[in-house]
Amino acid sequence: MFADEKLITVPFDVYRYDPAHGGEPRYQHYELRLAPHTPILTGLLRIRDEMDPTLTLRYSCRSAICGSCAMLVNSKSRLACHTPVGPEVKEHGRIVVDPMRNQPILRDLVVDQQPFWSRYEKMEPHLILDPKHPMPEGQTTAMSPAQVERFKETPRCISCAACFSACPAVEADPAFPGPMALAKLYRFVVDPRDTAQTHRLQKIQTEGLWLCLRCHLCTEACPKDVRPSERIRDLKELAVQAQGGTEAGSRHAIGFLHNIEERGTLNELKLVRQTSGIGGLAASLPQGVRIWRKKPELTQSPPPIEGLDQVKKIYSTLKDDKSEES
Amino acid sequence: MKLAYYPGCVAQESGRELDMATRWVCQALGIELVSFPSFSCCGSGFVDEANEVLNVALNARNLAIAEKAGLDLLTICSTCQGMLTLANLRLTDPKIRARVDAALTPLGIQYRGTTQVKHLLRVLTEDVGIEKIRAKVVRPLAGLKVGAFYGCHLLRPSDEMRWQTGEEPHAFEDLLAAVGADPVYYRGRVMCCGFPIQFVKPETASRIAGRQIDDAKAHGADAMATPCPLCHISLDAYQNQASKAVGHELNMPVFHLPQVVGLALGATPEQLGLPRHLVPTGPALAKIGTRAHA
Ligand code: SF4
Ligand code: SF4
Ligand code: FES
Repeated sequence: MFADEKLITVPFDVYRYDPAHGGEPRYQHYELRLAPHTPILTGLLRIRDEMDPTLTLRYSCRSAICGSCAMLVNSKSRLACHTPVGPEVKEHGRIVVDPMRNQPILRDLVVDQQPFWSRYEKMEPHLILDPKHPMPEGQTTAMSPAQVERFKETPRCISCAACFSACPAVEADPAFPGPMALAKLYRFVVDPRDTAQTHRLQKIQTEGLWLCLRCHLCTEACPKDVRPSERIRDLKELAVQAQGGTEAGSRHAIGFLHNIEERGTLNELKLVRQTSGIGGLAASLPQGVRIWRKKPELTQSPPPIEGLDQVKKIYSTLKDDKSEES
Repeated sequence: MKLAYYPGCVAQESGRELDMATRWVCQALGIELVSFPSFSCCGSGFVDEANEVLNVALNARNLAIAEKAGLDLLTICSTCQGMLTLANLRLTDPKIRARVDAALTPLGIQYRGTTQVKHLLRVLTEDVGIEKIRAKVVRPLAGLKVGAFYGCHLLRPSDEMRWQTGEEPHAFEDLLAAVGADPVYYRGRVMCCGFPIQFVKPETASRIAGRQIDDAKAHGADAMATPCPLCHISLDAYQNQASKAVGHELNMPVFHLPQVVGLALGATPEQLGLPRHLVPTGPALAKIGTRAHA
């Protein structure tokens, strides 16, 4: 601690819940005098050691390495050992601490991480050396720096589940694997030693890849800059390029691509037909009619843009330009 | 102030009320909008998922059009803002740049990378300024509790959008306060509206939209307001589906950003296209002592 750093009063409101001993969830208020740079975890441990030994939380390294202290800090998914008290008090006047979202609460700040880990395991997170698809000629288990570069962010992950806690797709749909699982999957898909790319991409396309909302809340929450949302984007592009429009999600992306090539601008109605087929269009008809009554432009084709020939030429140059060297 | 106006697809089609309101507000504030019929769609995040480099190239062409005219570019959609900003950023990667140039140079298009991409929310709060807008208010939205709903791509990834924090922005709430409304702070304001998967899994998309509307409601909002027409589709045009997903009627009027500003600056509901909304805005308008004729 810097000797001359001024102490500030830090009001904590900590979520307390102990299902084993009954009672309703509640917030307990504590106040500490701390230097602004003090990690929130340090504050919580002082509460536990000096004020209330029943406070239950999970932690280990206290250095943003083990990934065990993720929780909600003023509603944001954060590592408690990596988040100083000062800025939070400045912004919110207090520090509200809750357990992570999207996982059942066991006691106080401790959650059951099973939903996080079981989704991760479904990704088959290990190298698969398929004897039917041997590694390309000349590829050994040693990788070139350029090959490693393609997944340089993913190994930084400390499995803290902050991204999982922040993800609205996880919250809304149990079929969604979650940001960390997909970022890890990406890592195996582009690993030159792994020979199960086709199997992995086929499987994930039907098992939730296209439910990612690209909201980037995971990337915002991640303490290690793994940038899961960007890896998921990469996975989608790889899936589209390798396997075409096999699912509603990939059909929509491809449909959108072709849609713009035609007029330079979006034709809303046509896109729905491309993604959902005639059956899907029929199913969405009542909703469409409701909207059309207020917004009749829905059924009009927009005029083509000026300079459409330029757009078409850009398409013909780059349409088959693969995203990454493989 | 003079800007290249990039309305985006939706504001020219089903979301035309957003275009009407933008033009009204910009005229009232002395912002000159220059239209370019040659702008193409930003790709809406979908083209990026199918072919990243192609998406960057299409947007580099858009940015070059504004650059040639010596203008910065005004967006009125969080997704357009995100896609065009990302194009600027990805063009600084020499590998992407080379592939984009290979497509653009033969067409005589050269983009030097100088076009700034500015969403209307930024122009209003930073270039025009909150104080100037406050001074022009003739119909303060007093007593109206409004939940801002930002739209992901205006904010995140925050290290790439380089504006406010990705989880706790305040520009929109500051603007709402300046026009006399009571901003409502709720978690859902920075969450996703569900739109990107509307055609992949509609029930999940509606559950997500419903959750955010419910959250605004639980925090006392009479209405919501969004700077993104795609969020508007999810929150307004599909609100009936969101109601079904959460199991109760939501009845939440949802404004476009320039509509709330326009109301305060004296526009009529008709001038702002409010009768075009699926969820009637009447109850919210009644709170500020005005009404729409449809
Ligand atoms: S970008 Fe996708 S994975 Fe990340 S938080 Fe949003 S929905 Fe979840
Ligand atoms: S991706 Fe980031 S936030 Fe998610 S588990 Fe790994 S380190 Fe934590
Ligand atoms: S205690 Fe190990 S990451 Fe925080």
